[in-house]
Amino acid sequence: MQTVIDDKRWAKKYPEVGTGPVSAEPLISQEHFELEREKIFRRAWLNIGRVEEIPNPGDYIAKDLVACNASVLIMRGKDGAVRGFHNVCSHRGNKLVWDEKGSCNGSLTCGFHAWSYNTKGELTWVSDEENFFDLPKCDLGLSPIHTDVFEGFIFIHLADTPNESLREYLGGVADQLEGGGFSELALMGQYKIDEHANWKVALDAQNELYHIPFQHRRTIPQFCVMKDGKFTRLLDVRLFNHHSVYSSESPDDRVGPATEKLAVQFSVAETEYRLPRIGPFDFYTIFPNMALLLFQGVSHDYYMTYNFWPNAVNQTDWDIKLYCRPAENAGQRVGQEYFKCLLRDLLQEDANAHEQIHTGLASRAKKELYFQDDEMQIRYFHKVLERFYAEA
Amino acid sequence: MTAQKLPSAFYDLEPFVSWALAKEQERTSKRLASSMEDIQTFYDTMSPRLEAVIEYLNQLSLDNLSPEAERLFHMSLSLMEVANAVEMFHNPAVIDGFDVKRFIPVED
Repeated sequence: MQTVIDDKRWAKKYPEVGTGPVSAEPLISQEHFELEREKIFRRAWLNIGRVEEIPNPGDYIAKDLVACNASVLIMRGKDGAVRGFHNVCSHRGNKLVWDEKGSCNGSLTCGFHAWSYNTKGELTWVSDEENFFDLPKCDLGLSPIHTDVFEGFIFIHLADTPNESLREYLGGVADQLEGGGFSELALMGQYKIDEHANWKVALDAQNELYHIPFQHRRTIPQFCVMKDGKFTRLLDVRLFNHHSVYSSESPDDRVGPATEKLAVQFSVAETEYRLPRIGPFDFYTIFPNMALLLFQGVSHDYYMTYNFWPNAVNQTDWDIKLYCRPAENAGQRVGQEYFKCLLRDLLQEDANAHEQIHTGLASRAKKELYFQDDEMQIRYFHKVLERFYAEA
Repeated sequence: MTAQKLPSAFYDLEPFVSWALAKEQERTSKRLASSMEDIQTFYDTMSPRLEAVIEYLNQLSLDNLSPEAERLFHMSLSLMEVANAVEMFHNPAVIDGFDVKRFIPVED
């Protein structure tokens, strides 16, 4: 594919998204944060991890989701199925599992009074059961949460009845990524960032490349094709029912640093491994709080996920994960380390900026935001937000 | 007299064996605690040797490295750690970067 440099292509492709300014208020207001708890985080499918994190029966992950007022337990059953539950004991409501990750040998036992559950969430044992009154044990399993898996990505939905299946919810994103072979890659790096910024400030800041030659002038100024060598131009923008993707390609005359050249040289492998990319770099925003980034590698592609978990209107946990093909030799591993360190360092540039932006916006000095055409996908994200806010 | 820390073909890199650190957090901490002069000296000495280092290490199984080869491997990872400090920031830390104490690598 070849990047077209013309101006204002995306507004022509998606005229219904509009071109006017967008309110800054949802990024900073407590009212919107409260609205999001109910209307977004309990009404959307949320990515909680990957199946490789729980490879064996009895393996589990647990996560407190402040935005959902919930603690979630994802466990692989003895039958191999991945299930989600509220991480809450049926006796007195104690949190059942207190660590974020673990493995049980067939049962989980509450630390409060030792009620026990099997890997299907069924209540199997109650201490001093004879002293209870008509305990309906069959009905006292862990409360299930709708849980489904797409290409190894585990999603949950906290509504009693989700109005779309995960496949329907992902829509065009699933069409593009289905059969992508994500399980062939392994977690290679992971960061947890405690940000003093709204989750949407952080996500919006990542959801464009306009900032690359400026904010990342020291790290990756030539990351993508630019008009007149100055301003980034996207290769493609696609909008889906709730989600979006933008793609870019690198300039042919890009000159990388000396160590990058060595890293590229070491990363050559005998067989190629490719992900279902649209361009050399794809950035999916999977509504509400996940991003999936696909990168063209030398021989092996790699991908990253971002999950932005709100803790308060101005507090976010930004979870970053990098997945690569397992290195076959030292050279490939060193090549991966180069790219990991580069990504990490430039994300430190981003994370600092998120906090500065939040501070600026929180002053309410600016009520509206102006997006250019290559920021169309942010404008669309805010339209999807508005749609979720407005739903009864 | 000290015992040899690296494979003998790489004896010249022995002065930098303190960069042989297994974990990312250790490598980052050393980068941030080092002067730019020390980082530059490590980079200037190790970079021209890296192709030979990788050629040597690629003949070995990553899962079964001798302690000497493993140090060399970890030093190569440290070189990747400091490359941006030399080539991009001219400073040990990311310029205008986030507070690293709140940017936590979940270990290797």
